[in-house]
Amino acid sequence: MSNAMQFYISTLLIYLFIDIIGVLGLNLQFGVAGIINFAYIAFVGVGAYTAAVLSLGPDHPDNFQHYLFGANLPFPLPILAAGAASGILSLLVGLISLRRLRSDYQAMVMLVLSLIATLVATNATGLVNGPAGLATIPWPLYDQLGLSPVEYQWVYVGWAGLLAVFTFLFVQGITNSPLGRTLRAMRDNDRAAAALGKSITGLRLMIFVVGGVIAGICGAVFVEFIQAWSPGSWLYPETFVFFAAILVGGTANNWGAMVGALLVPVGFLEATRFLPQIFYQGFIEAMQWVCVGLLILLFLWFRPSGLFPERPGRFRPRAGALSRPSDAPRAQGALSK
Amino acid sequence: MSAESLPILSVRDVHRDFGGLRAVDGASFDTRSGRITGLIGPNGAGKSTLIGIIGGQIKPNGGTITFEGEEVTGLAPHTIARRGIIRTFQMSAEFARLTVLENLLVAAPSQRGESLVGAELGRLYWGSNEDALVDEARRVLDRFGMAPKENELAGNLSGGQKRLLEIMRGLMCRPKMLLLDEPFAGVNPTLAQEIETYLISLRDDGLSMIMVEHELAVVERLCDPVVVMAHGKVIAEGSMSDVTTLREVLDAYLVG
Repeated sequence: MSNAMQFYISTLLIYLFIDIIGVLGLNLQFGVAGIINFAYIAFVGVGAYTAAVLSLGPDHPDNFQHYLFGANLPFPLPILAAGAASGILSLLVGLISLRRLRSDYQAMVMLVLSLIATLVATNATGLVNGPAGLATIPWPLYDQLGLSPVEYQWVYVGWAGLLAVFTFLFVQGITNSPLGRTLRAMRDNDRAAAALGKSITGLRLMIFVVGGVIAGICGAVFVEFIQAWSPGSWLYPETFVFFAAILVGGTANNWGAMVGALLVPVGFLEATRFLPQIFYQGFIEAMQWVCVGLLILLFLWFRPSGLFPERPGRFRPRAGALSRPSDAPRAQGALSK
Repeated sequence: MSAESLPILSVRDVHRDFGGLRAVDGASFDTRSGRITGLIGPNGAGKSTLIGIIGGQIKPNGGTITFEGEEVTGLAPHTIARRGIIRTFQMSAEFARLTVLENLLVAAPSQRGESLVGAELGRLYWGSNEDALVDEARRVLDRFGMAPKENELAGNLSGGQKRLLEIMRGLMCRPKMLLLDEPFAGVNPTLAQEIETYLISLRDDGLSMIMVEHELAVVERLCDPVVVMAHGKVIAEGSMSDVTTLREVLDAYLVG
């Protein structure tokens, strides 16, 4: 395989694994727990900025870029700190927005929060270098490993893949447990769940923070790979790419969410990149957003449960249940019929 | 005084305003242990609001509610549920994308796999607890004749079955008291007959209940005492035969 091809393939795989991490985090919040977090990309951005400033080294007046909290922490501390920063921010945001507001209002609060976050990062230029963003973020362990760039990319594929697998096992642990069942119940009817003794605020807050940590790690692994990050890379529509992936793959189904990550952010957006430029520069990119919107609409309309619908829990069959056909495991996705 | 007739829940001078409307206006009554207390009255009398206040969904503007000697006024719904008061809703409140069995399992209190750490420790940690709950839930399903529906998504059940599901789900909470808000609304007569039989057997097992119901014949068969509300006030309290002879009650129902 040529070097260029290796670069391309390894880059795509890294993007895939990073998108999988991101989509799994949002699926936990939205698909499983029913929290409509339209600010998800902001938490990805916070993780990315945290990891960036903690690997760039302390700021210096002679630098071409300026930022707060600069440090030169060894790998993987910037990534862990990114998860922590995003988690703490989630806790603060959640404490304010998740306590009383109804979920449709929560969604609006999140959307506004996403806009505010972009404005702050753009206009508070001393914070994370304003609209120019941060660049020259070093590849973690690149100097120590002494590999060629293409070899290094393959190492990064392995590292991102490992994190994706870990994230998957972690969210599966929640989704397939009694906790996951309680979260799905809360999603379907929060009043009824509260009336059965479930602390809705506590559960929402917990999942909001857990999802926030995953978002932060997703942003960190991404920024340490592409080595640059600016407010323009995390505008609010990016959240809808994640939502599209979940709706296409299947809400509350982590396998489906991974397929969604492969099909939407990686497959769909990558495929359109090869279309010839028509009309004017940027037309194809603009159409990508139109298509993401259409994709969401089409799936909500025709296949609301996604390609891989949510699976009900499986239980030990009743003694002698095999003779009773009504107790046999039934087909999935009954909501779509 | 026998243990059976001790007051389990006391409502004292409870008020609730909605804007200018006084939905509950100084309501007071006691419910007895092991009885079904009927809460009747014309539309807009404040019955459902009162149920909401007892269940914690609605905060009262004044008054106290005492359950088993402890004040529970204004506590969060989940705290009240954990004290043993479980309510059903007038509108169906099933977890639509969960199966019937899962709906019941959700309701079980203090499950090992319901905390974040517990969930991540995996089935080895919470599996035996889960198996015991599945057995318990299946016993409830058997008792209510819903075993054939155990793997059905709750959203696909009929209106009457959803009512039954809510009662079964409530039982999984091991409640001390059930608040039933019109448990027979929209239920076909055959199933209504069944639900009535189940409620009687639950009462005979010693479960206390408060039931809001419009069908007076059902109330007469199940409930003792009966509390009559009109315009947010309790206007009569006693056995069905006692309250129906009172002039105020007749006026409230006829003039309402």
